[in-house]
Amino acid sequence: MAFASKKDDEGLSAYYNNKTTVIQEARVFNDSPISPRKCRALLTRVVHLLYIGESFSTQEATTLFFGTTKLFQHKDSALRQMVYLAIKELAGTAEDVIMVTSSIMKDMQPNSEVIYRPNSIRALCRIIDPSMAQGVERFFKAAIVDKTPSISSAALVSSYHLFPNAKDVVKRWANEAQEAVNAKSSTSLFGSSTGGGYLSGWGGSAGQQSSGYQAVPSASYITQYHALGLLYLIRQQDRMAVTKMIQQLGGGKTGAGTTLKNPMALCMLIRYAAKVLEEDPNVQKQMLDLLDGWLKHKSDMVNLEAARVICEMKNVPTFQLMRAIGVLQLFLSSPKATLRFAATRTLAALAVTHPSNVASVNVDLENLISDSNRSVATYAITTLLKTGNEASVDRLMKQISGFMNDISDEFKVIVVDAIRSLCLKFPDKHVSMLSFLSGVLRDEGGYDFKRAVVEAIFEMVKYISACREQALSHLCEFIEDCEFTKLSVRILHLLGIEGPKAPQPTKYIRFIYNRVVLENATVRAAAVGSLAKFGLNSNDAGLKKSIDTLLNRCLDDVDDEVRDRAAMYLRLFRESFLADTYVKEESVFSLDALESKLVSYVNDPSASIVPFDASSIPKISRAQAAAEVARPSSLETVGVPAKKEAAATPQLSAVEAQSAYIQQLKEVPELATYGEVLGSSKPAQLTESETEYQVSCVKHTFAEHIVFQFNVSNTIPDTVLEQVAVVMQPLTESNLTEDFIIPLPSLSSTTSPGIVYVSFTRDSPEEYASGSFQCVLKFISKEVDPATGEPEEDGYEDEYQLEEVELGAGDYIIPTYVTFSSEWDRLRGGASATETFSLSAMESLKAACDSIIEILNMQALGGTEDPSSTSVHTLQLAGLVVGAGGAGKALVRCRMTYSKAQGVTLELSVRAEKEEACSLVVSAIGG
Amino acid sequence: MPWYTSLFQWFSGLFFSKTADISIVGLQASGKTSFVNVIGSGQWSEEVVPTVGFNVRNVRKGNVTLKIWDIAGQPKFRSTWERYCSGVDVIIFIVDSHDKEKFDAAQFELHQLLSHQTLAAVPLLVLGNKNDLEDHASVNELIKALELDKIRNRAVSCYSCSMKSQHNLDIVLQWLTKHSH
Repeated sequence: MAFASKKDDEGLSAYYNNKTTVIQEARVFNDSPISPRKCRALLTRVVHLLYIGESFSTQEATTLFFGTTKLFQHKDSALRQMVYLAIKELAGTAEDVIMVTSSIMKDMQPNSEVIYRPNSIRALCRIIDPSMAQGVERFFKAAIVDKTPSISSAALVSSYHLFPNAKDVVKRWANEAQEAVNAKSSTSLFGSSTGGGYLSGWGGSAGQQSSGYQAVPSASYITQYHALGLLYLIRQQDRMAVTKMIQQLGGGKTGAGTTLKNPMALCMLIRYAAKVLEEDPNVQKQMLDLLDGWLKHKSDMVNLEAARVICEMKNVPTFQLMRAIGVLQLFLSSPKATLRFAATRTLAALAVTHPSNVASVNVDLENLISDSNRSVATYAITTLLKTGNEASVDRLMKQISGFMNDISDEFKVIVVDAIRSLCLKFPDKHVSMLSFLSGVLRDEGGYDFKRAVVEAIFEMVKYISACREQALSHLCEFIEDCEFTKLSVRILHLLGIEGPKAPQPTKYIRFIYNRVVLENATVRAAAVGSLAKFGLNSNDAGLKKSIDTLLNRCLDDVDDEVRDRAAMYLRLFRESFLADTYVKEESVFSLDALESKLVSYVNDPSASIVPFDASSIPKISRAQAAAEVARPSSLETVGVPAKKEAAATPQLSAVEAQSAYIQQLKEVPELATYGEVLGSSKPAQLTESETEYQVSCVKHTFAEHIVFQFNVSNTIPDTVLEQVAVVMQPLTESNLTEDFIIPLPSLSSTTSPGIVYVSFTRDSPEEYASGSFQCVLKFISKEVDPATGEPEEDGYEDEYQLEEVELGAGDYIIPTYVTFSSEWDRLRGGASATETFSLSAMESLKAACDSIIEILNMQALGGTEDPSSTSVHTLQLAGLVVGAGGAGKALVRCRMTYSKAQGVTLELSVRAEKEEACSLVVSAIGG
Repeated sequence: MPWYTSLFQWFSGLFFSKTADISIVGLQASGKTSFVNVIGSGQWSEEVVPTVGFNVRNVRKGNVTLKIWDIAGQPKFRSTWERYCSGVDVIIFIVDSHDKEKFDAAQFELHQLLSHQTLAAVPLLVLGNKNDLEDHASVNELIKALELDKIRNRAVSCYSCSMKSQHNLDIVLQWLTKHSH
């Protein structure tokens, strides 16, 4: 290629491969006659520019694209291939790309030259829109089963790309794909490509690349890999089918009977097997047998993948795990760096969960510490750190410090995380670890690396009291010269909390005040906050006085935030009772709830005449808040592939769910006049989990109404339910009057779950209505004609019995956090009640606590939900009782005793801001 | 063919050959692809798949090599006509002379196309196709309907012809030969 030779010259290449130059030179496309050599060189430059990340505007791309299409007049095959490459790359940005369809289709014809066909097929899938997929179906079906592997592969990969947009059409090609998997390659020579370079696609999505024409010799059976990918894509929704596919292609117990000859295809199959295993524990036995067979496969790649899957599996039998480790152990002494890397990486991840098993290969790992490949060495050392004993720690630390400077930031983070988990494991070694950490803190490094180090030190401060002072002074030193504002702020905050508890708080003051003098506004503000905490939390009058002076100086700061903070803290110094609320307060507002309240307050113009009412916002303790924001500690996730983290995303927390409900209810016009939702319950299942129709119920409490939200799912694919409604029949006198039902007009399995609302008016809003309701799901069931996808005319009415819905005290209470003892004292003068109950049915104190918390829906405080003794316990609860006249706090103290003969005896004391709240709680337990 | 004939052709091509780049546009189903087929291989067929995008074909007639760009006529492709007409020697606009209801649309699209600066002075040939059918428009009617008399500053010709019966195609070819170089 013309430009390749000039590439060495940096300046010239920059000019030569410049976007503007290329676009100008695109005139050669219009020359007559065309010079294939020139055009090809130019197209190469266009593609090169796109590959290195240059982007063309739509207009530029369109111009280039249409220029390129004119080259179809030339028969030069090398030029035509380049044209296809360029078309594929430009198709994303250019307009009217559909113009080349005819020209491409001409090259796809079976009578066209073989060299054109794969390229044209691959280009076509970028050009056509989903509606045209039907039109090319015949071509694709024929191409998938074509004898030439390159054509078959091209068609399979293109189908893979078409699938997301034209699912129904591509699904019909499953038989052809199956045939392609099984196809015996005509030019079968063995010697599958088991080279070392295959690890490039290790990230997990190796199946999705399709760039360019790959002149793979047919002996590699690469077509099987592509066909398998497509088959899985088509079947992935159907677990049974996937399981069957794995068993069929897995080739029996030994794995010898498999038709799959391509190692990458086998790797994919192993990944699918892993996925099935994760979802369905019933097939574990069969899958493990298959995996075991693959451990003995002749290709390294397959062995490695199988070993990796076994290592990542939960509850794997030890003997099986040891076999996988044995395979990895062999790789550890392989001459190929990639194999060593893959093996150490897998072992490093495994060491987190099974350190004792990994310890058996420690001897081999020791040899790798001095490996010339630093990445391998890093993983080897971190694995050893996790599996090793206390004695070897010092030696390993020394080894690491030796090459810390040679490895990339990413690996440094891995090392630091390993050290961090080590600190907690061997607290006695904290001296050497802390000195290591402070050493690397002084090294060059990016934000992620520095953050990992700082967090490791934070953790040491938190858990290892012996090193606290030392660690804090290291941090002080670090902020003297820290380029990351975020880290400075966090360290200053920590100093503010930990510093005053230190024997000599004064020595930190200098470091902190230096920040006020030298840093940017954000850090200055944090420093002011930190300083003030020293003053407020210390009993030393001299210290207080000096802090006072320092804060007074801050009043002259140029930044508003810094001045405001200084002024506020100075006021707190004078009026110490304020400090209790603003600095020593243990609870914070639940931020999601606060945010949604504030948003609705700001959006409601009529609300602006009254001040914002924060009393109805639930509070959570600082510890809870910290737990909510805490990122999953990196020790658990070191080296584990990213997909695991995604799977572990927690369910929406209660507060977030609440905010979501508020948004959702606002969009229902019938409910718009009801005002604000006071509280929403957790969803309760009204059906068994495996039934045809699944219903769950959420209760929303409004000032004068109760709204039941039924989430209905239709799990039968070929029927549509119309006019879905839930009919509720009160079983007892409930003081509620039904207003209306908002039915669902139509519900199919694809639109599930749908929502049915049933609204009731509270007859006397000041009372807390309760009761239970019999619920029946009513609907008209219609079959769907599979040919047209339209429901048939006639349906039949049907109903489905649901479990009862209870409305109780818990639906009027929102859990909140308070400091129990002080609040309990404060409410001494308010409404109170005390009663004694005998709960003979309860089998333990724990069971009693759980059921009381469930009934009252209150927040248990101070860890009192877990009784420490089996005979006597006090449970402390707090909640906000919502009602027509606003929310009021209610506190409950449950003193319980337990004896085998009498069960649990409960003395229930309630103190609340309102009388009704008090009686609500008592009646809930009594009722 | 014997090797000396091809050698002769090569020589005569060297000295006497002429070439022409031709773009064929027109509303859908007016007979553009049929024209290319008839000119190129003499084959006419009732069933022609609508063109998606464009086709390009080299046709040799006597000592003239015609490079023909056959552009799709469906509405979504009409905006791209200009791209393939710029730089050609002749634009051929084909009209279905039997489908008089579409004359307005054809007139609009033709004048829209000719208004592009890039296409100034390119000779235009308008063909009223399908004159084998009863009740087709004559040349004069076409000139009027398509307002060909209002076109300035370029050579314009209009013939009535039929791809099916190959009527008048000889004079079309003569005209094309005249405009090649």
